[in-house]
Amino acid sequence: MALSSSYDAIIVGAGHNGLTAGAYLARAGRKVLIVEKNDWIGGAAVSRSLHPGWTYSNCSYVCSLLRREIVRDLDLPAHGLQVIPYEGGATFTKDGDYFAYYSDHDALRREMARHSPRDADAYARYSQAVLRQCRFIRPFLLRDAPDPASLRPRDLGEMAYLVRKAHGLGRKELGETMRFWTMSIGDFLDQHFENDLIKAHLAGSGIIGTGLGVYSPGTAYVLLHHYMGDIDGGIGAWGFARGGMGAISAAMGRAFEAAGGTILTGAGLDRFLVRDGRVTGVALEDGREFRAPVVASNMDVKRTFLTHLDASDLPEDFRRAVGRFKIRGSSAKLNIALDRMPEFPAAPPHASFLRGDMHVSTSLWELERAYDDWKAGRWSDAPYIDMLIPSQIDPTMAPVGGHMMTVFVQYAPYDLEADGVRSGANWTDEKRAALADKVIGRIEIACPDIRDRIRHVEVRTPLDIEREVGLTEGNIFQGELTFDQLFFNRPVPGWSQYDSPVKGLYLCGSSAHPGGGVMGAPGANAARAILRDTGGSGRMKGYAA
Amino acid sequence: MTRVTHVVIGGGLNGLVAAALLARAGKSVCLLEQSPTLGGMAAPGPDGSARMAHLLYNLSPRVARDLGFAGGRWPLSMTELPSVSLSPEGAHVVVRGARATLADGTPHAQAAAFATLHGRLTRWGALLRHLAEAAPPGGLDGGALSMQGLRQMIRLGRVGLGLRGMGKPEMRAFLQALLSNAHDLILDELVDGPLAGLLAADAVRGAAAGPRSPGTVFSLIYRMGHGGAASVPKGGMGALIDAVAGVARAAGARVETGAKVARILVEGDRVTGVETETGETIGAKAVLVSPGAQVACALAGHRHFDIEATNRLRGIRARGTAAKINLTLDGTPEIPGLPADLLGARLVLAPSTEAVELAFNPSKYRRMSDAPVIEAVMPGLTDDGQPKAHLSAIVQYAPHDLEGGWSDAARDRLLKITLDRLAQVAPGLPARVTAAEVITPDRIAGETGVPGGHWHHAEMALDQLLALRPANGIGRYALGPKGLFLCGASAHPGGDLMGLAGLNAARAALEAAS
Ligand SMILES: Cc1cc2nc3c(=O)[nH]c(=O)nc-3n(C[C@H](O)[C@H](O)[C@H](O)COP(=O)(O)OP(=O)(O)OC[C@H]3O[C@@H](n4cnc5c(N)ncnc54)[C@H](O)[C@@H]3O)c2cc1C
Ligand SMILES: Cc1cc2nc3c(=O)[nH]c(=O)nc-3n(C[C@H](O)[C@H](O)[C@H](O)COP(=O)(O)OP(=O)(O)OC[C@H]3O[C@@H](n4cnc5c(N)ncnc54)[C@H](O)[C@@H]3O)c2cc1C
Repeated sequence: MALSSSYDAIIVGAGHNGLTAGAYLARAGRKVLIVEKNDWIGGAAVSRSLHPGWTYSNCSYVCSLLRREIVRDLDLPAHGLQVIPYEGGATFTKDGDYFAYYSDHDALRREMARHSPRDADAYARYSQAVLRQCRFIRPFLLRDAPDPASLRPRDLGEMAYLVRKAHGLGRKELGETMRFWTMSIGDFLDQHFENDLIKAHLAGSGIIGTGLGVYSPGTAYVLLHHYMGDIDGGIGAWGFARGGMGAISAAMGRAFEAAGGTILTGAGLDRFLVRDGRVTGVALEDGREFRAPVVASNMDVKRTFLTHLDASDLPEDFRRAVGRFKIRGSSAKLNIALDRMPEFPAAPPHASFLRGDMHVSTSLWELERAYDDWKAGRWSDAPYIDMLIPSQIDPTMAPVGGHMMTVFVQYAPYDLEADGVRSGANWTDEKRAALADKVIGRIEIACPDIRDRIRHVEVRTPLDIEREVGLTEGNIFQGELTFDQLFFNRPVPGWSQYDSPVKGLYLCGSSAHPGGGVMGAPGANAARAILRDTGGSGRMKGYAA
Repeated sequence: MTRVTHVVIGGGLNGLVAAALLARAGKSVCLLEQSPTLGGMAAPGPDGSARMAHLLYNLSPRVARDLGFAGGRWPLSMTELPSVSLSPEGAHVVVRGARATLADGTPHAQAAAFATLHGRLTRWGALLRHLAEAAPPGGLDGGALSMQGLRQMIRLGRVGLGLRGMGKPEMRAFLQALLSNAHDLILDELVDGPLAGLLAADAVRGAAAGPRSPGTVFSLIYRMGHGGAASVPKGGMGALIDAVAGVARAAGARVETGAKVARILVEGDRVTGVETETGETIGAKAVLVSPGAQVACALAGHRHFDIEATNRLRGIRARGTAAKINLTLDGTPEIPGLPADLLGARLVLAPSTEAVELAFNPSKYRRMSDAPVIEAVMPGLTDDGQPKAHLSAIVQYAPHDLEGGWSDAARDRLLKITLDRLAQVAPGLPARVTAAEVITPDRIAGETGVPGGHWHHAEMALDQLLALRPANGIGRYALGPKGLFLCGASAHPGGDLMGLAGLNAARAALEAAS
């Protein structure tokens, strides 16, 4: 690979958003270099083989949020991306029962009615309400968030778009939308349903990755953040990327390279080069330097501005605002190699929901308590788990007969408490093992033989996630999705449009609007901002423009 | 049958304000209060002591003006109290306005950061006040070109102008903080401890929320609308209630106590009056209800509300979490580390933001706090008009729906927990207690008819504020059949002794009548 010393744009980090931004820029004719500290690409959208024969989606594990505009623009299927939807899911109880979620309406209705006839009737209203919110928010994902303090035409234009959209809802519906955006998922579910198990099953999406409890205001939005995606037009549907989540990044990488871009792995950034308030390039840890008038950072906002820039290159109030950005780790993960499919004694043979997302939390109060533990610096005594066995649908993940299980865990703190001190340094190997044991104990509720099936476990604490992916404190979204950090407040007020006080330095990762998840939107939006600001010949091509 | 144009149900501060304003506007008004005394949550005890509400910090000057008090000022002599955040470790913090010191007079290490934060919150509070002093913006009923619509736009514009006047950075900070949680806002500026705890406690007083709950900054800012300082009115809350009742009566309103409304009468799609428990009917064109939308609906009959409205009313969250404990003492207790002249201050036990959050935790599961947050005051030390030996304490969190119910044993337990907690800073206090009255949220609900015995009648959460207060579709005082209005704390802008819900409701009723 022939490296040159200067580029039109350099992107720091080959997470899926960095790759998306790079691909759009390259397709617009720019000469682009992506530097990535790891020896592989993908950031938190990655597949790795840590036990011979098995492939793990180490971090993110299911796909839905990826904007279809981006899939089309970058022609990802042609570059090898295949997303297979999965159907349904279940929550298992300690006494051997379960609530199963089916995508088939009649089956779901019957199952709901088995637990509560009233809730079966309520479900249609509930899903309509969520769907309406999804429809409302989706157009905003690939647009700029306006700065309400600014009178620039672009901001006024975006503001007018927002007002028009809001007005279009009608008064009553606008009220419902405002309520939804500000309420807790617990209150929202209580308003619709009576059955604890059903509520607990639906609530999980409201807390995944979030330092809030099911009864904290704002968690209804977090649920929405997990429902606003789609697969093959099915809004809210989720699927597996064939070959693991790394397949998404790999396809993006190929799209980028096909458009003439260059990826350099094993190339950690040391610092951004800045002269007279303008970025001039990057200096790598190994001493190499590359020049470019535009540098986009795929790293989170804290790492970007507080670790890799001189304090003197930033205005003090901006630094302070970035310092206050909330990016708390609250999630852990287990990736497990199984020698064969474990038993689920409660489930009927060949139940479709075994191929979906499975849980063991049976009430909102149990979930709320799990949050209290986290607040105090402990992992939850009864954590929420989101577990799937993708190898049932995607055989590339495990050898014949074997299976791969992915188990997302909420809540585990980054700054673990020990002897009155809260610090990431408290994550010793013993603590890591104790967390894994706790989680496996939870899995046993659904599959009692799990311990006998395990061949290998990868345990990822928030500290591990920080160390490997660079996500500060292991926050999976590159920053909390609370309303004080969303839309025009993301990442910090006044800087919601990807640029920064250092001219030419942009953010293109999930710290920027519209936030985390394997969505690609921050990357695409950042590319649009860069092309707009740098003018010239390049115009972004495609739907996301 | 008696006939008036307006009946007001409930003689709390808001009901009285509404009745007085309607009467002053020339309406014939009858106010009916079920209790033998006026005042609702601010009704004084038989000896003039502060039975429930005990301090004023948010009383609206706007209401004083509209009530026609001389010079547009409340006719009350008020003593402003410093706040003391008591520390079980002994380094009590004294706050006077924006100034924080230690109890021994030495400066507080974070005085400068506190002053900046306080200044910000107060400036923002003044801004929210504009919003509080009118019906919530949002529903342009009658179209933007109606007088009402235009007035609303102007008011919004004023808030907008206020924002712009503060400059872009501050405006951005405001829009972010408004949606944030008190824990983050406070700890971004202050090290956790009694000073931070004081602010955290103020953010959640009366709420079923902890400082980490998003939206709590909004409540805190609301409280700072007038700088946030607490005052004791001379003569206690009775003086306030008497003053407003006096205006109402002088303007010709009939104000009756011991008159419980049993039914709101509805014919077709309009209210026609009320019927009291004793069978008296009073005809009226409009009825204003203090104790909440759910009560209004129950009194008028659910059949006059469509199903959607009934569902929304059912969804209103009103879990009271504040209990009131009144202690009679045989002498003034001592608080080691606190000069005697500060004993009359507002005494708060909230040693840290974290402690407030921890106190909140059990209430979520319908249990009382083991280490509650306490706001205590001995009004008699600053006001001769109130009994000397009375310590008035608001104790949080004591959930309305306590697991197992509020039995006598449970109330005793709350008293014991409270005394133990107070003894951490005032070891001699429990021995001085000669009598104790424990008023838990179930009792408050029983006495006032307010759902959940909630301080604000409905939770002050972002999804129940402004045009969404107390529920979507009834954010502008009118609800159900024509002529029915909300006038109490469950309506915008909410509770605290402010008087604005009553004022806004009276205006809405007058507008509807014209
Ligand atoms: C455990 C876990 C589970 C998740 N589950 C899901 C899920 O199921 N579905 C979903 O949609 N989302 C999920 N997410 C969230 C989603 O994966 C992330 O929000 C998203 O992948 C972030 O993408 P990004 O491109 O913005 O940033 P990142 O993926 O964080 O990319 C940043 C890149 O920058 C690189 N980098 C960091 N520092 C340097 C440096 N100094 N020099 C050079 N490069 C550097 C990193 O190595 C990384 O490649 C999960 C996240 C985690 C952690
Ligand atoms: C323990 C406690 C302490 C507080 N401390 C403070 C404080 O220190 N400072 C502060 O600013 N705020 C305080 N508050 C809050 C404040 O007191 C209330 O928000 C405010 O008083 C509400 O006034 P209101 O007029 O809207 O309703 P209320 O005062 O609740 O009045 C409602 C009235 O309606 C009457 N009523 C109900 N049903 C009927 C019926 N069917 N017929 C006739 N009458 C009926 C009730 O008897 C009652 O008098 C406190 C609240 C509580 C519970």
